[in-house]
Amino acid sequence: MVSTLINLVVISVLISIRAFSGGTGEANFQVGTIAGEPAGDRIGTVAQAVPGVRARIVSFPDEAAARAAVADGRVDGALIGDRLIVREVAPASLRQIVQLSFAAERQEEVLDRYGITAGDRAQLGGGSPIVIEALEPGDPNRDQNEAIAFVGMILLYGQLFGYGVWVASGVLEEKSSRVVEILLAAMRARQLMAGKIVGIGLLGLLQLAFLGGFAIALALATGAIDLPGSAASIALLDIGYFVLAFAFYASLFAVAGALVSRMEELQNVLVPVNLVIIVSFFISISALADPNSVLVRVASILPTSSALAMPVRIAVGAAAWWEIALSVVLSIAGTFALIPIAGRAYAGAVLRIGGRVKLREAWRAAA
Amino acid sequence: MLKLIGLTRRFGDVVALDDVTFTVPEGELVGFVGRNGSGKTTTMRIVVGVLEPDAGQVIWRGAPADAVARRRFGYMPEERGLYPRMRVHEQLVYLARLHGIDTTEADRRATELFETLQVEAKPSDRVESLSLGNQQRVQLAAALMHRPELLVLDEPFSGLDPTGVDVLGAVLAREAREHGVPVVFSSHQLELVERVCDRVVLIERGRVLAEGAIDELRAARMRNLLRIEIVGAQERWFDVLPGVRLERSLPDGVVLELTDGADPQRVLDVARSQGEVRHFSRVQPTLSELFREVVQA
Repeated sequence: MVSTLINLVVISVLISIRAFSGGTGEANFQVGTIAGEPAGDRIGTVAQAVPGVRARIVSFPDEAAARAAVADGRVDGALIGDRLIVREVAPASLRQIVQLSFAAERQEEVLDRYGITAGDRAQLGGGSPIVIEALEPGDPNRDQNEAIAFVGMILLYGQLFGYGVWVASGVLEEKSSRVVEILLAAMRARQLMAGKIVGIGLLGLLQLAFLGGFAIALALATGAIDLPGSAASIALLDIGYFVLAFAFYASLFAVAGALVSRMEELQNVLVPVNLVIIVSFFISISALADPNSVLVRVASILPTSSALAMPVRIAVGAAAWWEIALSVVLSIAGTFALIPIAGRAYAGAVLRIGGRVKLREAWRAAA
Repeated sequence: MLKLIGLTRRFGDVVALDDVTFTVPEGELVGFVGRNGSGKTTTMRIVVGVLEPDAGQVIWRGAPADAVARRRFGYMPEERGLYPRMRVHEQLVYLARLHGIDTTEADRRATELFETLQVEAKPSDRVESLSLGNQQRVQLAAALMHRPELLVLDEPFSGLDPTGVDVLGAVLAREAREHGVPVVFSSHQLELVERVCDRVVLIERGRVLAEGAIDELRAARMRNLLRIEIVGAQERWFDVLPGVRLERSLPDGVVLELTDGADPQRVLDVARSQGEVRHFSRVQPTLSELFREVVQA
């Protein structure tokens, strides 16, 4: 329960940051002016012509009021005469539109001086917008998909890690409390291990679905994203890969839990598994920047890292269908290869109370 | 009836069990005795299926014991273990359900066992808050929840106070006598085993050294011993009797061994001629004595 709440908070923060930093990638400025100054109106017009920037004009009765508004952050800047007042630094795009609005102002004055007609002025305004032809057209929604995939990856990483450790500590708890011996009298070691993995895995899945739904709802509501369709499909993708990856990793976590008898020792035996997951996580972050580097492509196919790397590549449209198919097949095959090995090591280790059991001993004890 | 046939198990180079064979008949209490590390726990773990033997078989009611049969066994391990933070009642119900008992039945059974075993706790108490003796009773309740057809108990009496010993002894006797359940339990308290059990199995270094009804074992090793106390007797007054030798001296008397058909009545006559006979009895070897004798042999 607590972990769910923490997760909700983390997601909310991530999404809010995106929503307040301009959501879908546009810079949105509030610019203060003193009532009656013409430069003010011009800024709004100019901003419309500059892609990705919007400006809203807020009128103040005098300079003092405008300065006060800048100081307490109600507006991003105030234009007074030829002076732009900001609190700390002026963002480049704000400077740009203010500069352009000044230029337009001068232009008007010159045109007035020569008595140019309204029709001619309109022609001067720039004609029809330019047509852009891309040689390799990118996905216009890529930025948003990337953001969704990133949040999804962080969630997936958290779930994999959190619920994996839960499996390990659950196994350890049964071992250290010795309750495992009466459980083993009622069922076989492999059944016990499988039951633990499936039970905890289902909880993890449920929580992931819940967190995913919450994240999407919040992101749409705050305007951090506006693509409900791709958000939903990336969420489903993440859920699918969570099932694959959890099945793959959980038996390793179970064996790690069976090797030790005390909580303090658990961290040590978990190091190798954790390391693999953390490395996969960082490779997947790099996938956002370059989804087709050799490292990322390999990582997105191997069962150890595919769950983190592949959804990102799919989301940005970089994965070939055969790569996706291969990653799924390898993940399932890896899981099935691992289960009997892990099951045997688990069975051999779980009754050996005392110090840390070596993997080889565990393997032999279950013979 | 439970039959163990030729159970053998190695741990690395250590032979834990070497051809262990014995029987636990229906309705009988069998004491499983032996020193620490003699193989008792390993044997019991193999019976309940927690360990696999390298060789040999566990035969239950004429067929090798499989997972289905074993779900009807009740087991209390030497390493006591329950979920420490789970509530007692909830825990018993959960464990019974693992053995295929439905929740309603398990509920009823848990309440009933709480009373029978005189567990001093509320059903809603967490296991870790219970005293060791009460935890032990709960552990035993866990073994009895599903009305097992066979009981395998590893050191069930250790850690119990005298009342607890009596309660447990009575419960085991009832399981055996009234429900015909074969019960096998290990113990170091030999006088208790002697009091409670019909049969014993004596194991040492992974081998069964003796098996059978306690009376039979005694008879087989029965020596003709007499304990005699006489007021004012001479030193070695019994030397005049043929076939009689001193087994050991006691503070107030002697224990004599009669061999070659020496007649106890004749010994009594000589004793009376020595003075006032305060005590004259046959000495039954205790299980501890049998145990020492067998182990040392």
